[in-house]
Order: sequence, then structure tokens, then C-alpha cells
Amino acid sequence: MELGSQPDYMKILKLDEDEVKRRLAFFELTDEDFRRLTELKSFADRCTQDITEGLYELIMAYPESRAFFPDQATLARVKRLQNAYFLHLFSGTYDLNYVRERLRVGAAHERIGMPPKLYLGAYRRYLALIHERLLDHFKGNDAEASTALATIRKIIFFDMALAFDTYIAAYLETMTRHQAAIRELSTPVIKVYDRVLLLPIVGTVDTQRANQIMETVLVQVVEQQAKVIIIDIAGVPVVDTKVADHILQTTAAVQLLGARTVLTGISASVARTVIQLGVELTRVDTRAKLSEGIEVALSIVGKKIASKKPKKESEDEE
Amino acid sequence: MAGSIPILKIGPTLLATIQIDLHDTVVDAFQNDVLLEIEKSGSSGLIIDISALESVDSYVARMLANTAKMAKLMGTETIIVGMQPAVAATLVRMGYFMSGIRTALSLQEGLELQAERRKTLDSE
Repeated sequence: MELGSQPDYMKILKLDEDEVKRRLAFFELTDEDFRRLTELKSFADRCTQDITEGLYELIMAYPESRAFFPDQATLARVKRLQNAYFLHLFSGTYDLNYVRERLRVGAAHERIGMPPKLYLGAYRRYLALIHERLLDHFKGNDAEASTALATIRKIIFFDMALAFDTYIAAYLETMTRHQAAIRELSTPVIKVYDRVLLLPIVGTVDTQRANQIMETVLVQVVEQQAKVIIIDIAGVPVVDTKVADHILQTTAAVQLLGARTVLTGISASVARTVIQLGVELTRVDTRAKLSEGIEVALSIVGKKIASKKPKKESEDEE
Repeated sequence: MAGSIPILKIGPTLLATIQIDLHDTVVDAFQNDVLLEIEKSGSSGLIIDISALESVDSYVARMLANTAKMAKLMGTETIIVGMQPAVAATLVRMGYFMSGIRTALSLQEGLELQAERRKTLDSE
């Protein structure tokens, strides 16, 4: 049933023995409750089928929830799992293994995209069904039935909390992954030639991105032992003092490493704003077009783009 | 404290590899040692390898830059090699660009740079 590598929710949620104890305490689950749950085992064995059927009656009554169980085989399987889940409630041991099993259930619901409202709604029906059976079980002794229900409610709420923590952790995990992907996409460092790198910057550059660009550039320059890095800013919509400042800083840092920067993609309007803003970019090697920048960079590593026809050496631009 | 950073003479080049954390006193002693060594050996080039340094504060950066300038006054060209990305980022964020100081990616590059420079000097 496990799909590929699952994140270790035990670790993410910091669920160790102490944490489990704290949780049990907060849900007011005492030894008394554990004893009561074990005593209810025979009751559970007897009515688990009925309760599961009742639960799936609700689930199958609405298209939204029914959609998660497309065929009879799936339905039969989840019903079996549901029975196992129910019996596990009365096992009497609520340790790390129990918690791990609960997290797995929560993760499975999250993975298939079951929204929390359906999960909670179904639980409500579940509790109602259990209540009915308990009243039956303790015929006439309502007080005892409600004590038993209170205990079961505690352990079910304990379970629900674990399931919800898994939901949230899974969402956070996805978000972090996406953020990392976006970060990576925003600074693609391309190797143009041996020891020549190219970084095209597309989109607005804020301080956070500028810092990240600088970091990537420096690490890549050292890792690839690049002599030159071309930074192309043709895709940056607005070059203001701040952006220019970031570029200057990056250039200076690259210089400290012992490599050089060539800045390309300077359009007429960018050139105008930069000078009007009074930004000093003269210390940076700049070019209007990327192709010119590549030529400059290649000449730094002692290479040159030459035309194939020996006589037309000067017309080497594309 | 003197002598805690070894300065090796390899042909016409002096090589100082900094492998310990640079406290202010160590840097002072280092500057002194380097200048004395230049005076003694008359080397035309100095390479300071800082690839082992994970952090450099502004004082150390200034001292290194000043050492290079002083060496220059004595006719010795300095190249600082192997600066780590994080160090470079910190320095420029502090506004310390070390302008006028020559740098190279690695010791190998630094040696090549000096060899090239000597060749052009010789041919002149």
C-alpha cells in the first residue's frame, strides 16, 4: 500500500515517547480508560462489521465521498481496513507503534486527497454508530454506556489529532518542496563553455532573490572553477538603484573569488535609467547583447568565435 | 605569536597558507612576518591562500588588503587565492569590496597568473 518513500511523519511531528505521553495526558486518557477499552474488546469484535457498514452507508450516499471508492474491490479492502482500525482502538497499548499506525492512516487519507470535512463528517457518524451499539450492549445501564462512550471518544479524538497533524505536515512538506523548486528555477546557472557560466535573470529581483542569486553564483563559480560568469538581465523588467546595487555586489564578490563578471542585456532604457539614477556601473564589464557578452567571456578564457569561411572572420555574429 | 603562519619561498614566489583562525594579533604578526620575508628574499610575488578560512571579519579583510598594498610598495605583487563563497558574500555585504586586490580561484591559478606576469615583465 505504501507508495514510494513516505516522509517520516514521526520525525517531522517530533513524536517520541515523551510526546505521546503528553498527548495521552492532554486527552485525559488514563490507565482506567485503557483498562475499559480492553474490556470492550469483545463488544468491538461483535459489532465492528455493523459499524463499518453504517459508516460506508453515509460515505456512499454522497457523490463527493463516494468518488474515493470507485469499485467493489477497493470498497471491500477499505472496509476490511476499517474493521482492523476499529479493533486496534481496543488493543490496550497506545505506544509509539500505535501512533505510527495512526499516522499511516492519516497519511493515506491525505494522499488520496480526502478533504478533512469528509474525514471529520464520517467520524461523527462513526461515533454515533458506536454510541447506538453501546446502548444496546449495556442494555438499560445508560450510565455505564456513557462512561464507555466517553473513553472511546477520548481515543478517537486522540487519533483525529494525529491524522490532522499528518494532513498539515503533508501540506507543509509539499509547500516547502515547491518553494525549493521555484528557488532553483529562478537561478539556472548554465555552462556555456569550459569555465564560462551564464546566468539569465528573468523577472523582478527583490532583496531575497538577489541574495539567493549571489549565493548560487558564488558557489557555482567555485564549484565549476569558472573564470567568467555572464549575467544577462534582459529579462528583468525594471532595473532600479536596488537591483543595480545587487548586481554590483555580486560582481564584486565574484571578483573576490578570482573570477570575472560580464553583464549583458542592457537595453537602451536600462542604460538611461541607470545613468539617470546615478548608479556607478562603470566598474562592471557590460554589453548590450548576450552574444557580445559571450564573445567577451570567451576571449577571457582565450577562445574566440570564428567564421568557418576563412576570409570573413569579422562576420562571426549570428 | 610570530611564525604561527608559515611563509614558504617557492622560486620567486612567497606562499602563505592560512589554516588557523585569524585573531587580530595573529594577523598583525602575519603582516609583519610577510613584510620582513619580502625584504629578506626580494620575492616578486606573494600568494596568500585563504581557502581554509570559513569566515573573515572586516578587520582581517582590511589587514590582508593593507598587507597587499604594503607589499606592492616593496615591489611585490600579491594575489589572494581560494576565497570561499560565503566569505566573499559577507565581505561585499559589509560593503568591503577589496578593490585593487588581485584574486584567483585556486593556488594553481594564482601561480599561473604570477608566472604569466613574470613572463610579460621579462619580455619588456
